[in-house]
Order: sequence, then structure tokens, then C-alpha cells
Amino acid sequence: MSWASFLIILACCMATMLACRVLPLFVLKGRQLPERLEQALGYIPPAAFAALVANDLLTLPAAEAEPWPILIPLLAAIPVVVIARKTRSLLWCIVAGVATFGLLMLIPL
Amino acid sequence: MSNSRHLSTALKTAFTAALPIVLGYVVLGIPCGILGVQAGMSLVQIALMSLLFYSGAGQYLIPNLWLAGVPLGSIIASVSLVNMRQILYSASLSRYAEGVGKRLSLLFAATVTDESFGINLARFDDPKAGWTVRQATAVNLFSLSSWTLSCLLGAWLGSLLQVPVALASFAMTSIFICLLFAQRFTRPTVVAALTAAVAVLLCKLAGLAGPAIIIGALTGIAAAMLVSLSQHQREQDGTP
Repeated sequence: MSWASFLIILACCMATMLACRVLPLFVLKGRQLPERLEQALGYIPPAAFAALVANDLLTLPAAEAEPWPILIPLLAAIPVVVIARKTRSLLWCIVAGVATFGLLMLIPL
Repeated sequence: MSNSRHLSTALKTAFTAALPIVLGYVVLGIPCGILGVQAGMSLVQIALMSLLFYSGAGQYLIPNLWLAGVPLGSIIASVSLVNMRQILYSASLSRYAEGVGKRLSLLFAATVTDESFGINLARFDDPKAGWTVRQATAVNLFSLSSWTLSCLLGAWLGSLLQVPVALASFAMTSIFICLLFAQRFTRPTVVAALTAAVAVLLCKLAGLAGPAIIIGALTGIAAAMLVSLSQHQREQDGTP
């Protein structure tokens, strides 16, 4: 990654991140957000995380590609979902996900 | 003397509160550093990004999208949208920052993460804890230090070992799955998630892999708003 691209990404992402982190605390001073806005903001996590998960798990098969590499992430996701529902622990989800993924990669298909 | 003892006790309580986050960030930061190196980021760049941007989801997403050849504009839009959930944290923490100095408030607000928000909110809401913004900021800074050091450790390991990109980036997928399934499932949130996933698939089928995340997420939010508006309408009309 070149310094130019890096600085553009860092500056823009940092600016939006700081605005989201800092402005509400200073502007609201304990008052509530408008109800509709709070509702819309509440839908960001399920929608954004689902989009990210779908983006990672759903790879389109290229014409010549074998199906196994496409199935690995889908299969490795199963234990992660179970552990997420049971423990809600990021730590155990990473451990389970990466371990399952690694084991599946070892299967010669 | 009593003042400094008071300070060290307050710091110790803050460190105890931060410990689960500090340990979690070691596991979270190492694959993130590995991924950064694979996207061609230098140690200095990884350190700058961890200190100044300080976002787990964002710092996984940037190298991943960069490696996939997604244009800069789409990377920035996707990362920014994902991080907009911080508005909710900042808004709900604002009532505890009343009467706190501007500089401390700024430092506190700028270093909030999903995890430190959860830990600090629980302490603020517990009258017995007597939690202060100063202690909450200390929790944030302990977490930030752990995150930065772990990302650098990962970057160092990543330059030594050959870790498959797919494996390192599945750490990120696991985090997103965890965050998704830790959500409270109501009708609108389930609609938001399902619509977003379908929209991402449709974007990919249409050859729009770059903006797939941002389009998918926005479509999901819009669908959830429609569902909750129509629910609200039906309740007002009194029809089932």
C-alpha cells in the first residue's frame, strides 16, 4: 500500500470515525437523540454485520474453480454461529472460526 | 500522599475492569497485524492506524478490501458506515460526561470501542462502582495500548511466518459473525440482516463487488425502517 493511498484512507476513515465518536457526546449533553434517528442507527449493526458476513461467505464460483474452497468458509461459519449464540465471546468465535477453517484447509479435496 | 494512593487505587480498578478487553485485543490484534502486512502496510502505517483510527472492524476491513482491489471511495464508505454505530455509544455516554472538562471528555469520547463501551456502561450504571469518566478513559487507554501492541506483534509475526491470507481474514469473518449473532433479533433487525445479505449477493451477481457492502447495508437499514413504520402504523390503526 503506497503512502498516498494509505494517508487518504486513514484521513477519511479517521475523520468520520472521530465525528461519530465525539460529536454526539458534546452536542447532546445528556439529551436523547430523535426517536426515528435512534431507530435507524439501531438498524446499522444488524444490516452492516450481515452485509459483511455475506460479503465474506458468499464467493461466486469461477467457471473452472472447484467447489471445495467456496464451501470452506460456509462450513467454518457454522461452529462460529453456535458459539456466538451461546457465549457472545469474540475471543472464542475467533479461535473456533480460525481453527475450523485451518482444519478444513488441510483436507485434500 | 492520600491523593496519590487514591489515584493508584482508581487506576488499579480501571486496569481490572480493562483486563478482559486487554486480553481479547491480543487475540484480535495479531491476525489484524498479519493481514495489514499482507496488504503491503508497513509497521509505521499499522502503528499509525491503530493509534489514530483505532477500529477493529475497520482495520480488518481496509486490508481485506484493498487486497480485493476495491476502489478507495468504496473502502472509505463501507468502513465509515460500519463505524456509524459509534454514534449510539457516544450519545448514550453523553449523560455521564456532564460537568467533565473538555479535554478529558474529548479523549474519553475518541477512544470508545464496542468492548470498552460495554464494560464502562455497566460500571457507570452501577451506583456502587462510583465510576468516573477519568477511570473510563483509563480503561479506554489500556485497551488502546493493548490493541496497538498486538497489531504490531501480528505485523512482526506476519513478516516472519507465511500465514495464508484466507486464514487470517477468516478471523475477521468470525468477529463479524459474532457481532451479528449477538444482536437482539426482532422483526425489523432480522429483516435488516436478511435484506442486507441478499442485496450483497445480488450486487456480486451483477458484478458490483466493490460497493456491495455499502449498498447491502443501506438496503437492509431501509427495509427495516419500512417494516418498523408499517408495524407502527398497524398498531395505531388498531388492526392486527
